[in-house]
Amino acid sequence: MGEKRRMENHLAGKKEKGKTFFDLSRRKFLKLTAMAGLSVGAMGIQQPSKASPSQSSTGFGNKAKGKWIPTSCLNCTARCGIMVKVVNGNAIQIKGNRSSLISEGQICPRGHIGLQVLYDPERILSPLKRTQTKKGKGISPQWQPITWDQALEEITKKLRSLQESQKPHHLLIFSGLNSRSHEDLLFRFAEAFGTPNLVSGEGLELESEKAGIWMADGHFDLCAYDLDQTNYILSFGADLIESSPPVARWLRKWGRLRREKPIRTKIVEIQPRFSLTAAKSDEWIPIKAGTDAALAMAIAHVIIQEGLFDQKFIREWTHGFEAYRQIVLRDYAPEKVSKLTGIPSETIIRVAEEFGRTRPALAISGKGATAWPGGSFTSYAIHCLNALVGSIDAPGGLLYEEPPAYRPFPNLPRDEVAKRGLEQPPLDLHGTENFLAARIVTNQVPKSILEGKPYPIEMAIGFNSNLNMVAPGCKQWEEALQKIPFYVHVAPFISEMAEYADLVLPATTFLEEWGYDHSTPGAGFVEVRLKQPVVKPMGNSKPIGDILFHLVEKLPGGVRSAFKDIGESTAGFVRYRTSSLVPWEEFLKSGVWRGPDYQYGKYARIFQTPSRKFEFVSGNLRVLQMKKGRNTGEEKIAPHYSEVKWAGDEGQYPLLLFPYQPLLTFGNGSQNYPWAQEIFLPMQGVGWVSPAEINPETAKSLKVKDRDEVWIESPFGKIKTYVKVSEGIQPGMVCIPWGQGHTSYGKWQKGIGCNPNEVMGIDFDSISGQSAFFNTRVKVYKA
Amino acid sequence: MAKWGMVIDLDKCVGCQACLVACKEENNVPHGSPEEQKSRRDIFWHKMIAVTSGKYPHVRVEVIPMPCMQCDHPPCVTVCPAKATFKREDGIVVQYFRRCIGCKYCMVACPYGARSFNYKVQETKPYHRQDDPPDRKSWEPWPFPTRTQGVVEKCTFCFHRIDQGLKEGKKIGIEVVPACVESCPSQARIFGDLEDPQSPVSRILASRASFRLREDLHTLPKVIYLSRS
Repeated sequence: MGEKRRMENHLAGKKEKGKTFFDLSRRKFLKLTAMAGLSVGAMGIQQPSKASPSQSSTGFGNKAKGKWIPTSCLNCTARCGIMVKVVNGNAIQIKGNRSSLISEGQICPRGHIGLQVLYDPERILSPLKRTQTKKGKGISPQWQPITWDQALEEITKKLRSLQESQKPHHLLIFSGLNSRSHEDLLFRFAEAFGTPNLVSGEGLELESEKAGIWMADGHFDLCAYDLDQTNYILSFGADLIESSPPVARWLRKWGRLRREKPIRTKIVEIQPRFSLTAAKSDEWIPIKAGTDAALAMAIAHVIIQEGLFDQKFIREWTHGFEAYRQIVLRDYAPEKVSKLTGIPSETIIRVAEEFGRTRPALAISGKGATAWPGGSFTSYAIHCLNALVGSIDAPGGLLYEEPPAYRPFPNLPRDEVAKRGLEQPPLDLHGTENFLAARIVTNQVPKSILEGKPYPIEMAIGFNSNLNMVAPGCKQWEEALQKIPFYVHVAPFISEMAEYADLVLPATTFLEEWGYDHSTPGAGFVEVRLKQPVVKPMGNSKPIGDILFHLVEKLPGGVRSAFKDIGESTAGFVRYRTSSLVPWEEFLKSGVWRGPDYQYGKYARIFQTPSRKFEFVSGNLRVLQMKKGRNTGEEKIAPHYSEVKWAGDEGQYPLLLFPYQPLLTFGNGSQNYPWAQEIFLPMQGVGWVSPAEINPETAKSLKVKDRDEVWIESPFGKIKTYVKVSEGIQPGMVCIPWGQGHTSYGKWQKGIGCNPNEVMGIDFDSISGQSAFFNTRVKVYKA
Repeated sequence: MAKWGMVIDLDKCVGCQACLVACKEENNVPHGSPEEQKSRRDIFWHKMIAVTSGKYPHVRVEVIPMPCMQCDHPPCVTVCPAKATFKREDGIVVQYFRRCIGCKYCMVACPYGARSFNYKVQETKPYHRQDDPPDRKSWEPWPFPTRTQGVVEKCTFCFHRIDQGLKEGKKIGIEVVPACVESCPSQARIFGDLEDPQSPVSRILASRASFRLREDLHTLPKVIYLSRS
């Protein structure tokens, strides 16, 4: 059958080109072989090129010429500068943009996969309306295509009614992975409309790490690292070459750290799982999960006791060192911490001495260490190690990156309704008693929706978000989404979240739209990348920016005027905002604008703390607590270790669920990309799966073997997968990769593997509002 | 005549597999599916293997990216009954798709599993390159736009890039390299002339401990690895 079709293709192909001697003879030959019952395929007859011989040219032929267009990738938060080769209107190849220095013009494998994002055969190409009234997991929405006018009319009608009834804050906006330019427009829209509820997924990422940094020096943000000069890296639970932002920079700099500097950087990876990063590091130290803060404090203990710290920096630019010193020396002796962490005290002392004696040295915290209840203090404890060795704003140390100076928006016209809306308490309760220093508490949102507190949500719009897949406790999100009376989903794909939508608007992918982007954290210096369409938008899809510009046109005064004088369209907006940085023509050509080189040692202005110094006892936290009328002792606002609060009883659920993030699903909700799927887990050499990895000892005690089907059950649910027995896992743990277990959209992702978030408990770090990802206990038994 | 070789530094390699994806992107190598992976019928010109040793907590995993080893004594060439696979003068082992009879002897003979068989008619994708051969009259092996069902295929060291580069007078190994070398984010790969003692490949080989896979078989691969320590 296949052969017949192939023959027809051959013949059809030839008809257009006219008959040449070769063509005729091959045609006859094909017929003959087919008649003789030979396998045509096995004869290896190559389809001739489509150009006739007379047209053949030297080189790759004229079709291959095409051109390279600079633009910006959006497959993860790094937003690397890329070049896309376009031939005959098709994008056929992606490579790094050499003008972008953040990753020195290199990109990760996901950058190349952009082609399969763009040409995903299952993209939505027209607005869709739900005809099925019931919503829920597994219930088909029964989409019906409608026109853009119809869709926008329905949305604006609803938005207008919210404004007329003086309830703009009843609108909830979700923002997934979007370009900075689109994020800026969404902020502008939310503010002008009057809703304090613009919710991103950041509360699921590294908020506790940011809060730890904020406690010490007042920056609620991630730091960049000076990877060109550092000689020692101590990584606490950060998978540096798989899922630490910005990914491509880490991949590039790894080569430099190892072999392109006079001194080879030693890299020590501390985490319970032998990850790819651990395999590529010089040393792997398996630690008992959730005890990273204790280890960081023990390392500080050794450094202080042996006098290895940077005396000058500590004396001149820090505050509260004496109190910190006392806590560290009293409570965190290596022998004591050894029992907590399961790391021999000799190892702790040796690593501490190496870290204290090698300059410059960096301590890095990652999600594995900080996405816990109390994770902010873990981040704080790790951050303090950098201060001890003088790696703050210094060569080879932490860098405090300044955001690019985009041209500011014109003043926002104040609208009474919007003003009152913005004064309402936010749905995610950030900044309240529960989440003192938080900026965004993503996973509180579904709870607030379900409780209808502080007010009910009447309408929601999601832009490229997929929270019921990526947040712990998916079920809570599903219920919340069911409860939202009118939900609009804007994305190129029907994700799990889109299944709950009343309307779906087809957005373009990043290769079809205008935008500007920069990475935080980046590389220290500022760099802005231009995103420009390399191909025409597919079908009826529209960029998010254009959708917003269309929407506001139909809305009353305040909102509409907020979008006046900022360029009138997405492209115009990008031009408007970047006009303060670089001339447009130049930007179009290079795709990259880079600010001045990094300035080290800005101590006089970087510390945003009461003492204007780096603080070992957090004055920032004290101020917040005082405001709320709380007064806790010094020890509670200094870095410290507190015992993990587990979800699930240890007797009933003896194992610890410890998921991990492989590179090929990092930062993007969708996974319908065969190039990524088939090489998903390099350490196991398999794709298309998400096994539960356990130690052979654990397997023995559970009486399960390699490849056995098992249930992973927690107090919150159960998922099914198969066992992969692995020596690289600490006994007593179950490790499952994130990124699979999709129930919607696309044959290359649907029904493949399982999603550990489904069985995860819902918990937070109380300072930052960060979702906890690692404190759920499970049991494993044969399915 | 140059003899092209590739050096892969396992100390710099991050195991990200950008080489695998870039290879598929460059050469229109079809992607697989769950079923094809189960039956080991998915096609890779470039793969990565993980070799695990030791017990917890003293475990060690070496991830090794593997293009075709481009052996100087290629067993695949020896066994091919149709003379469909041969070594070019510059040492690149290529597959002549029009001569291949699909007997898969070469796949059995290759100790590195570098070869794949085209089990089905491959779909054309919008992102496929549609390049014509540089000179149609020569009937040289040419991998684009796609290969045919029923033939064996493998890594070509991106010979189309090298040949074109030479024609344009470019420096091979510096200005022109195979797709996997170009895409390597940690810059763990170097490509160049093994015969030229001044080439970057020769120089780094002279300065560092290196090895080839399965040296005992005397296949003399021209893909050479630098050890981690």
